[in-house]
Amino acid sequence: MVVERTEGRKDGKMERRTVEVDERCDAPPVAVPPDPIGRVVATERLPASPHEFYFWTEVETPIGIGAIVRVEGRARTVYAVVVDAKAYSDLADPLHEVRVAAGVPGGHVAPTHRTEIRLWTAAVLRQVPQEPLQPVPLAEVFLASEQDVQVALRMESYVQVAEPTGIPIGLYATGGVSAPVYLDANFLLGPESAHLNISGVSGLATKTSAVEFLLKSVFTHFPDSKGRIAALCFNVKGPDLCFLDRPGDLTPEDLEMYARLDIEPTPFDNVHYFAPFKADGININTLRSHADLIGSVQPLVWGLREVLDYHEVLLNRDDLDAKAAAFIDFLIDRVVEKEFRDEWGTTHRVRTFSELERLFRAIFDGLEASGRGDTWRTHHIATIRKIRNRLLNISTRCKGLVTDDGASEDLPFGTFEDRSIYVIDVAGMDQLAQDLVFTRVVSKLREHLERRDLGVDHVIVFADELNKYAPGDGPDTYVRKMLLDISERGRYLGLVLFGAQQFRSQVHRRVVGNASTTMFGRMDMDELATPGYQILSQATKIKLATLPKGELMLRHPHFTQPVFLRFPRPPVMTGPAGVAAYPPATDVPFDEAVMRQLVSLDRRVSPNSVAEIIADRREDDVRRALLATRRARPDDVLAYFRTALGPRVSHAPTVSAAAGTTPLQSVEDPYAR
Amino acid sequence: MTSAVMGETMVEARRRLREALLEAGGVVGDGKSAAAASPPLQTPFGIAEPVEGREVTAVAVGAPLRESRDAAFADGIQRYIVEGRIGVTPIIRAYVGAAVLDRRDRGLLPAKHEAEEFIVAPLERLTDATVARLHETGLPVHDCGVAERQHPILDVQLAVQQIEQRRRRAEVSVVAAFRREFPDAWIVVDGSLRAYDEEARESRLLGVIKSHETQFLAGVDLETALTLPQAHRTTVFRRVGGREDTIHSWYLRLWDWVGQDILFGLVRVERQRGPQVLDEIEDVCSWLLAERSPMSTPDTRWDRLLYPIHEVENYLKARAGSWW
Repeated sequence: MVVERTEGRKDGKMERRTVEVDERCDAPPVAVPPDPIGRVVATERLPASPHEFYFWTEVETPIGIGAIVRVEGRARTVYAVVVDAKAYSDLADPLHEVRVAAGVPGGHVAPTHRTEIRLWTAAVLRQVPQEPLQPVPLAEVFLASEQDVQVALRMESYVQVAEPTGIPIGLYATGGVSAPVYLDANFLLGPESAHLNISGVSGLATKTSAVEFLLKSVFTHFPDSKGRIAALCFNVKGPDLCFLDRPGDLTPEDLEMYARLDIEPTPFDNVHYFAPFKADGININTLRSHADLIGSVQPLVWGLREVLDYHEVLLNRDDLDAKAAAFIDFLIDRVVEKEFRDEWGTTHRVRTFSELERLFRAIFDGLEASGRGDTWRTHHIATIRKIRNRLLNISTRCKGLVTDDGASEDLPFGTFEDRSIYVIDVAGMDQLAQDLVFTRVVSKLREHLERRDLGVDHVIVFADELNKYAPGDGPDTYVRKMLLDISERGRYLGLVLFGAQQFRSQVHRRVVGNASTTMFGRMDMDELATPGYQILSQATKIKLATLPKGELMLRHPHFTQPVFLRFPRPPVMTGPAGVAAYPPATDVPFDEAVMRQLVSLDRRVSPNSVAEIIADRREDDVRRALLATRRARPDDVLAYFRTALGPRVSHAPTVSAAAGTTPLQSVEDPYAR
Repeated sequence: MTSAVMGETMVEARRRLREALLEAGGVVGDGKSAAAASPPLQTPFGIAEPVEGREVTAVAVGAPLRESRDAAFADGIQRYIVEGRIGVTPIIRAYVGAAVLDRRDRGLLPAKHEAEEFIVAPLERLTDATVARLHETGLPVHDCGVAERQHPILDVQLAVQQIEQRRRRAEVSVVAAFRREFPDAWIVVDGSLRAYDEEARESRLLGVIKSHETQFLAGVDLETALTLPQAHRTTVFRRVGGREDTIHSWYLRLWDWVGQDILFGLVRVERQRGPQVLDEIEDVCSWLLAERSPMSTPDTRWDRLLYPIHEVENYLKARAGSWW
């Protein structure tokens, strides 16, 4: 009987070996060394070098492009990955085949198979000993064992150590050998290097799935000694990241892979969802709006202060000339959230867009009434009018995210939790609002990480569609600057970018270039024809263009060549499955929306009570009270909501045209009756 | 006369000559020049007598066999170098190899191989001390005999004969070894069966000869044989003389020779005499016709060289490596 087992070698390493066990007696098993699968060949035209060599195999062989092999020389072991392959026979001229077959391809089968060759090109991953670096020995080639894979990829330096920093990323699987592949946390999440970039065609779910699986792996294996870690994901399209706390559909093969990689196949248990309101200011703008889930989505609402701090994102270059910038600076420094007394005796305390509008009105009215000309505090009235228009327009364009009036609702900067995910659903937002969210959130993360008061030491920011947010060409936007800043300086702070895009060639090269770890799913051939992929062999490109779901090519600082590997489906519900299981709720009238949101916070809340409380109340007041209740999450939701709403103010009856005055009728108007 | 005019004249002369040949009932050849003279033939003529009918005639062969026949193929190679001379006496280092490749399910696999490296010299012309010194090299030392007088070229030719003899011995040896393991297998050897003793030439041993140095037929018989159409064979004849009496033979045209040389695609097949020769000749010829594929190009003898034999040669060359 032949069995496989792991055994120690003389050099202290472990090796998977095939051993023959004699079942008839208790004799110790006799080690059967694995058979070589090939032999290195070298000619003057195809020489073996220290970085590349050629070997031949039988026609039927378990290896393929991406397989890792081991060359056993007398005093040198070389690990390499197969990057190209050729097959040819001794046929001198294709016409000879035509001639013997009398021009009919199926007409004649030769009695002898021509001698043919499978000639493989392999790129060296590692040589042992490393020095002196020499050409690959012309020796036998073996399929890499699990232990070989670890050595070939230099993983033993961060996996087999006292304080391992390996993060499983998937399984290398070729020729019946499967081996876990680990990333080095120091190179994925800093401080040595950082960031991950993943490319692939849309529609195969590889990019999102890979990142979801990797986040699960990071949360499982990130060493405690390196601190606390969280992830912040921007959901930029559809329901992709809306169900990270729901279990996914995993096959037995997936479960086996999870077991090999020592990761629990369970969804994330600490996910916080944020989404802005829709334009109605009460329904949340997310596809995670099913009644069972909406309670876990917190609204993202920003006010004047949040917008003004990032006015550069929202105002274009033409708007922001020196005069406009000076006026905005004046507002920030002297007016907003301060007691400000104007020249006409009114004291302003500007905290909201509504209050800002009152200030602008007071300025325009005051200047007009006083006839003091067209300048107010050195700022020309035209500049003031322009800034007023632009700023107030923001609350219109970003309605739902930016509130005219009322308190803001923000991410819990300062109390980020270890191994938790914060998802911001920006899928339904206007581009301008998306830019604002990206910029402000990441800037706030950076500020807090610099001050070490975020609540965690490392934050992974996942952003898809990088070719949209950090394009290689086009105007220099604030979002792109921010992404560049993370890419180039984030690792020192613990701010790590996991970026994804369909076309890597269209993303700013400094953003992708700074990503130490790169993953590729199935790629478009046009994309592979761009200069960024010149280092890949044609065979590798073709493999990339035909990669099935669940496979990807990986580059990592420890790996001198790209490696192909498989990863399991993420342990969370996919977007389409989530939408099917939890269909998004349709928008409901204001009263019902309030009632549903309060019920989602506390099942004991009676719809009738809510209807009674909010009857005849201003919608803005109700929104403000609802926001306060959501933020506080009190034990007695209804009581808190009632208190936040405040007592009813009885209005004196007013005379209105509709109620008390009979319209005049003109007897001369024949159409009035 | 300018070169252009001379060229036109030559083309015209060639055209006129070819027309004359055709008018006289002949065929025109491939027009290849023969700048180097062929070496003199050692045994240009042999004796034969018809076995199948009273005279040699052309017989059409059936369609090539469609199935691949499991069979073994044997060949040998030889290499030598005149390493030096003692006086004018040549000292030659030689290498011979022979192999059998076994074909199963259309795949060829090495079955037997023998190789030998040795020294050949006319030992009579060397002193004992020199011969002893040659033995000290560790290589076997063989005597090639001497001619009546010393001759720098003739001495080498004698050595080459010795090398050829040892190569044939190796071929016979590997075939015998294979036969012991597979008594019923078909074996095709490159060249004549003459080197095999009668016992070794059992029924399923075929010799395929592609050089036609020795002609056994004459007159009309010869013309019939050498102008066979494609996929035709001659009737069987018997070689006459000593141990060759029991060898039956026939010619087989593998490829159409029209427009080529007269020997193009022509092989002579040998088989130990017996009732099976005539009983199985159609089957054997169909089989050999099928062996035209794959072509053994780029070898210049591809029209007569069976691909499996070509592969035995390649195998032996690969085993010999860069022996020199």
